[in-house]
Amino acid sequence: MARDQSDLIPGTFDMLILKALSLGDLHGWGVAERIERLSGGVCGVKQGAVYPALQRLLLRGWVASEWRDSENNRRARFYRITGTGRRQLERELASWRRATSGVERVLRASAQET
Amino acid sequence: MSIWHGLRERLALLRRDDRDRELDEEIRFHLDVETSRLETAGLSTAEARRRAVEVFGDPAAIALATRDARGGLPLEGTMQDVRYAIRALSRNPGFTTLALLTLALGTGATVASFAVLDTVLLRPLPYRDASRLVYMREINVQRAVSPPSHPNFLDWRDRARSFDGVASAMFPYPATVRSTGTADPERVTVMGVSRGFFNVLGAPPVIGREFSNEENTFGGARVAMVSHEYWQNSMGGRSELGDITMGGSPRTVVGVLPPRFQFITSAGVYVPHEQMPGTCRTCRNYMVVGRLRGDATIERARAEMTTLSTALIAEYGTDTNAADVEVQPLLEYLVGDYRTLLGVVFGAATLVLLIAITNLLSAQLARAWAREREVMIRAALGASRTRLLRQLTVESGILVVSGTILGTLLAHGLTRLVRIIGTGLLPRLSDVTIDARVALVAAGIMIFVTITVGLYPAMRLSRGAGALAARGARGSAVSVKLSAWRALLGFEIALAVALSVGAALLVRTFQNIINADTGFASRGIVTAAVTPSEADAARLNEALTELASLPGADGAAYTTRLPLSWGANYAPVRRRSDPAGPDWPAMAGFRMVSPEYFDVLRLPVLRGRTFTPSDRDGVELVAIITPGIAEKLWPGEDPIGKTIGTNYLMDEWLTVVGMVAEASSWTQPRGMQNEIYVPFTQHVHALPGQGQVVAVVRTNVAASTLTNSIRTSLRQTLPNSPATVGTMEERIARSAADRRFAMVALTAFATVALFLAAIGLYGVIWYVVTTRVPEIGVRMALGATPGSVLGRVLASALGVAGVGIVVGGIGAMAGAKFLSSTLYGVSRLDPQAYAISAGVVLLAVLLGAWGPARRASRIDPMVAMRSDN
Repeated sequence: MARDQSDLIPGTFDMLILKALSLGDLHGWGVAERIERLSGGVCGVKQGAVYPALQRLLLRGWVASEWRDSENNRRARFYRITGTGRRQLERELASWRRATSGVERVLRASAQET
Repeated sequence: MSIWHGLRERLALLRRDDRDRELDEEIRFHLDVETSRLETAGLSTAEARRRAVEVFGDPAAIALATRDARGGLPLEGTMQDVRYAIRALSRNPGFTTLALLTLALGTGATVASFAVLDTVLLRPLPYRDASRLVYMREINVQRAVSPPSHPNFLDWRDRARSFDGVASAMFPYPATVRSTGTADPERVTVMGVSRGFFNVLGAPPVIGREFSNEENTFGGARVAMVSHEYWQNSMGGRSELGDITMGGSPRTVVGVLPPRFQFITSAGVYVPHEQMPGTCRTCRNYMVVGRLRGDATIERARAEMTTLSTALIAEYGTDTNAADVEVQPLLEYLVGDYRTLLGVVFGAATLVLLIAITNLLSAQLARAWAREREVMIRAALGASRTRLLRQLTVESGILVVSGTILGTLLAHGLTRLVRIIGTGLLPRLSDVTIDARVALVAAGIMIFVTITVGLYPAMRLSRGAGALAARGARGSAVSVKLSAWRALLGFEIALAVALSVGAALLVRTFQNIINADTGFASRGIVTAAVTPSEADAARLNEALTELASLPGADGAAYTTRLPLSWGANYAPVRRRSDPAGPDWPAMAGFRMVSPEYFDVLRLPVLRGRTFTPSDRDGVELVAIITPGIAEKLWPGEDPIGKTIGTNYLMDEWLTVVGMVAEASSWTQPRGMQNEIYVPFTQHVHALPGQGQVVAVVRTNVAASTLTNSIRTSLRQTLPNSPATVGTMEERIARSAADRRFAMVALTAFATVALFLAAIGLYGVIWYVVTTRVPEIGVRMALGATPGSVLGRVLASALGVAGVGIVVGGIGAMAGAKFLSSTLYGVSRLDPQAYAISAGVVLLAVLLGAWGPARRASRIDPMVAMRSDN
């Protein structure tokens, strides 16, 4: 069951988190929920996995966090994407698109093109 | 900006406790939100909670993975590991307690045994440059080794060039000594020493001086030296040494020896023995020590002493019969005999340690497998392999370090116990301590155990995490475990069997020794040795009557030496027709006794008569002999009426009036303890040695209950002559003290081994049963009865035990070779010892397996199959 993670292309999880945060500040649960909802459940990651990942992003300075009241009036730790975080997300999206379009071309290739 | 955020994160690490609390709160918040979402979707609270945790993943593992990701200060990770490990260990108090106990017992036994071995065998003797000291004995023409005579010692001292000094001491004897200024006389062990004895030995007095050569000469002044203990206890530690009274007249104390000083045996008072030099070249009462000259080797000294012996024989002819000299290191002479025995004890202790390690290893394997999930999650979440390895090793490390420390404390307690009860059992045993060297061994054990117990399962686990996860099926993992465990448990049981066999053999040995046939009824005998003052000597008969009339007493007699003691009073005997010379036909111990002696001891009279009051001074001198003498002197003839001479009564010829059975001890084969008995009444003026008299009392109650009343009675009848009182049984047991020590140690180790093996078995079977709950559930659903499940579990335990017992038995047969020289009256292959051991081990196995087997038989099939995970 732990190997479920292998469904995910390595390195993409951080990008997904940054993407989720770029749409608005969220607490940990919110991040997990947003990724799951937006992906239609395709990225079957354990929810808890977002915490170590967020910790890595915090250390790199791509996200920042602060404690504030949540929607149900309990204190929660909210994460927000930083400027460098946004730039990093753009870089990653660019390289991701480059990579996927390359792969896409290969997959679309028909017999005449070879 | 981002640099600032990152830095702030790192600074926050310094407030780690806060961060951990925040993380816990964050996870709690997450689970609460998820739970309420699921509740809204219609699930029950409990079900919602369960699902929330399930989609979250193991919270503890997530928390740890998050901390892993945080990285941190250099030592931060390890401290975190330590805290995590302590938390993990305290979550499981049963396991932790047992593991600590196991380790403490294993290391405690090993460290304490090493401390004993080190103290007795390895530590240098407490003399200056003790490794240069040698002990020398005569080897006679028959190649028998014996203590040297005084004239031979003098020649060695004068002529041997390999030594800086040669000195001698006499075998110690008890005497009545009174320190001037104190009221009570005491019975004190006295040792005569030669010129320069303490200088040669390298143990100069701490107060005063050693005897001068002028003092240590015929006609020298009456002087004495005392032990530090005598000085403290009987002289009140006074700075003005003053006098002590010995044998009715005072001696000036000139020196006090270092605390705890002793040479071979301890003594309270030392006197210069060259004031009364022995002149007989064949009377052997001396212990000779030499200090090798700077460049001399022991081989050179040996060669020189051989040459010297040849020269002495050429010179003195038949006056000497020392053909050679045995030269060995003093330490070797003192402790050489105990090497095998202490080796066996230490070996046994390491087996206990091995069992402890095996136990712990199998427990750690079980825990490691049980934690596969946690480890796999963490590995998947990015914890590196080294990180995982470190985490798991830290946990075992904490366990091992605390266990070893506990074990060393236990060893410390054990050595204290050994010091208290072990004094006199083995040489130097009373000095046993945990010193730096022993502590070093403990540290070595700790490192070894950490590696075996900690690193191996951790490596397996961290390496195997991926592989196991990929395989997925739990059943296959369990079967891998089982074969490993069977091997570990079988090994453990084999070790326990070997230890039990060793213990059983030693118990039988000790039993045989205390029950050995002595030739007389040794049970129920109390001995009281006194060295009577002149006034008290006149009251000896009265004292004996008093002793015989004590309630519980059944007769009393006098002798000059304790029964079953020969030692120094061993001298040639001859017929009137034999020429004086070195070729005497027999040697015999010499003993004066009162007429009741044979009756009190119940020593069978084989021929003739015993002594009667009419064997008085002035009538024909009579003697009673043992059969060995008769066989040598008058083979095939009736010895009664023959005349016999002994070196102890020069120029006297005795008429043999009786022959009694030989009294023998277990240490010597029968036929070696020839004795010649003469009646006190004919020789009161010629008490040999130092005038010791031993009262022998036959009791019709347990002997030990009478020692106090005998002591009290003698204090009244012989007020100036303190007595040393003890039972014969005690003395026989003490003569086997080394065996007794080994027996007690091995029995204790075997008990611990059985206990550990039972625990190990219990733990493993419990775990296996737990992991197999679904399988057993299926079996039971398919019709297996609780009885058959119980039987299957017990049978699998017994299968392992059977292999272990066979292997252990074979190992014991091989290992018992080391015990061969120690055993008495029992073969190292004694079937009874092996059968008993196998039985006891089987019992321990059943005890260990019973609990988990019962649990397996009570599994409810419905519950078991539903909870399949």
